[in-house]
Amino acid sequence: MTSRLYAALSAARHCAPGCTEKDEVWRSGKVRLYRYRPISPTPSAVPLLIVYALVNRPYMMDLEPDRSLIRGLLSRGLDLYLIDWGYPDGADRFTTLEDYLEDQLAGCIDEILKVRGLDALNLLGVCQGGVFSLCFAALHPERVRNLITMVTPVDFHTSTDLLSKWARKIDVDAWVGHANVSGDVLNQLFLALMPFRLSQQKYVDLLRGEADQARIENFMRVERWIYDSPDQAGAAFREFVVWFYQQNRFVRGGLAIGGRSVDLRTLELPILNLIGTRDHLVPPASSAALRGLTRSSDFTTLELDLGHIGMYVSARAQRQVPPAIAEWLAAR
Amino acid sequence: MAAEAGRQWQAFAALFNPPADASPSGKFGQSPPFAPFFDAEQFAAAARAFHQSRADSQAAAAAFGEFLRDQFGRVLDGMLGGSAPGGSPAAAEEAPALGPAREQQERLQRAAAAWRSLDHAQRRLRRLWSDALAEAARAFVSRLGAPAAPPTAEALHELYDAWIDCAEEAYARMAHGEAFGAALADALKAAGDWREESAASVEPWAKWLDWPTRREINSLSLRVRALEQQLRETKRKRDIPARPAAKKRTAAAKTPRGRGKR
Repeated sequence: MTSRLYAALSAARHCAPGCTEKDEVWRSGKVRLYRYRPISPTPSAVPLLIVYALVNRPYMMDLEPDRSLIRGLLSRGLDLYLIDWGYPDGADRFTTLEDYLEDQLAGCIDEILKVRGLDALNLLGVCQGGVFSLCFAALHPERVRNLITMVTPVDFHTSTDLLSKWARKIDVDAWVGHANVSGDVLNQLFLALMPFRLSQQKYVDLLRGEADQARIENFMRVERWIYDSPDQAGAAFREFVVWFYQQNRFVRGGLAIGGRSVDLRTLELPILNLIGTRDHLVPPASSAALRGLTRSSDFTTLELDLGHIGMYVSARAQRQVPPAIAEWLAAR
Repeated sequence: MAAEAGRQWQAFAALFNPPADASPSGKFGQSPPFAPFFDAEQFAAAARAFHQSRADSQAAAAAFGEFLRDQFGRVLDGMLGGSAPGGSPAAAEEAPALGPAREQQERLQRAAAAWRSLDHAQRRLRRLWSDALAEAARAFVSRLGAPAAPPTAEALHELYDAWIDCAEEAYARMAHGEAFGAALADALKAAGDWREESAASVEPWAKWLDWPTRREINSLSLRVRALEQQLRETKRKRDIPARPAAKKRTAAAKTPRGRGKR
């Protein structure tokens, strides 16, 4: 058993995530916009743009053929685009949230709309990408047709939000200075949320099952993803921590990007809010708060018995998430 | 070190998976994968001692709990990055800064003060961590039932999981508390202060060698950024007439899949 497990781990060392064919269709600086090659013969006319978080890499959405939300959505006829924010370096330390939203995200959206001859598209924001999507929809409602938020924090001051409790006490200017924030340091903070389970038990659990190559490869791909953490552009990071984690501006108001007010109460578009009830990073109550903050008369909340990472890669997520999104969009 | 990691991994695997085949002992020394932080062989020995202690199970349970507390005491160092690099600056913090090197001396003094703050905050965190582990050990001992001999692989699984549950619960209570958050915030602030002062101390050397400093590069970055913003604004103004907002929604609604209105 031990030797088989070792052999499986060794063989899985070079497992690369990402399995679905895609083409780069636009770039600006370090940002890349990809379009996935449609699987369905008649892809939807209104594309869905996936806006991932800055803190990890977006290939988690397309980990491997049987664990790919991307593939699940493509197979249901959706036309998918995805933003890859890249790896910020020292030259990006002054990049702000306004740059990410009004230059990079807006640039991707404008490119899609121009090429496709559309006026609006559908947005799927994941985690921090959901925050960006909410901001963008509030700033440019005419360019977003339907909005899907997945494991997205909205109320940053819920009682079980450990990360927020820590972040509220941090002097972020002193900590960050003018530098970027190391992705490795952030990873340590994320691991410190549940240190025994995340840095100990999961490896011991790995030993318990069969030395099944597919299981081991899946584990290694997730492991690679977890520690593939880009550094964070210092200015944007400081703004995100202060405006959202410390000042909770979605809820308390006062959020402005590039001098323009961002008020979730102006949102009237259809919204699907996907919540993981076992999410340890984004408490369910934090995401659920969105319902009470918008004016959308077409608001759907879907709570799934999943954790933050399970929302992308678990077998249950593959069965539940793509059909839920596809059916919701098809009805709109 | 590598061989040790491999040995621990192997021991843990063997512990939970009674050997049906021979283990490739040589391979681990060449290319170790991951090893859990704590000593698997000692865990097995402690678990077995507990299981075999029928006469005095209370004392054995307490000893087992203390063993786990000790073993997991090192985990925090990995979590919080250990100590800052470079060692403690030797500058005397109270010495008056006089003469041509006074600026440099004051920087070193500030760096030393930041280092001391960082060390102090890390000590507070370690103390809290130790308290949480002590609480976890007490909870673990109270959950232990009568030992069954000989211990099965499943019994070891259960002991391990029970310990992890107790440890996470105790840690969560501590981590949500005021003291841990304050110590963590102090540690991060001190680390930032120390880095800033240390970087400033190095700058005069870079200037002397005619190397670019971070301050100069930042200045250039900001100028490039200002130019980019001007360019973007110019493009935006140029594109505005081509984007009549009112027509956009109508066009989107005419797409084949666009069945509903918002």
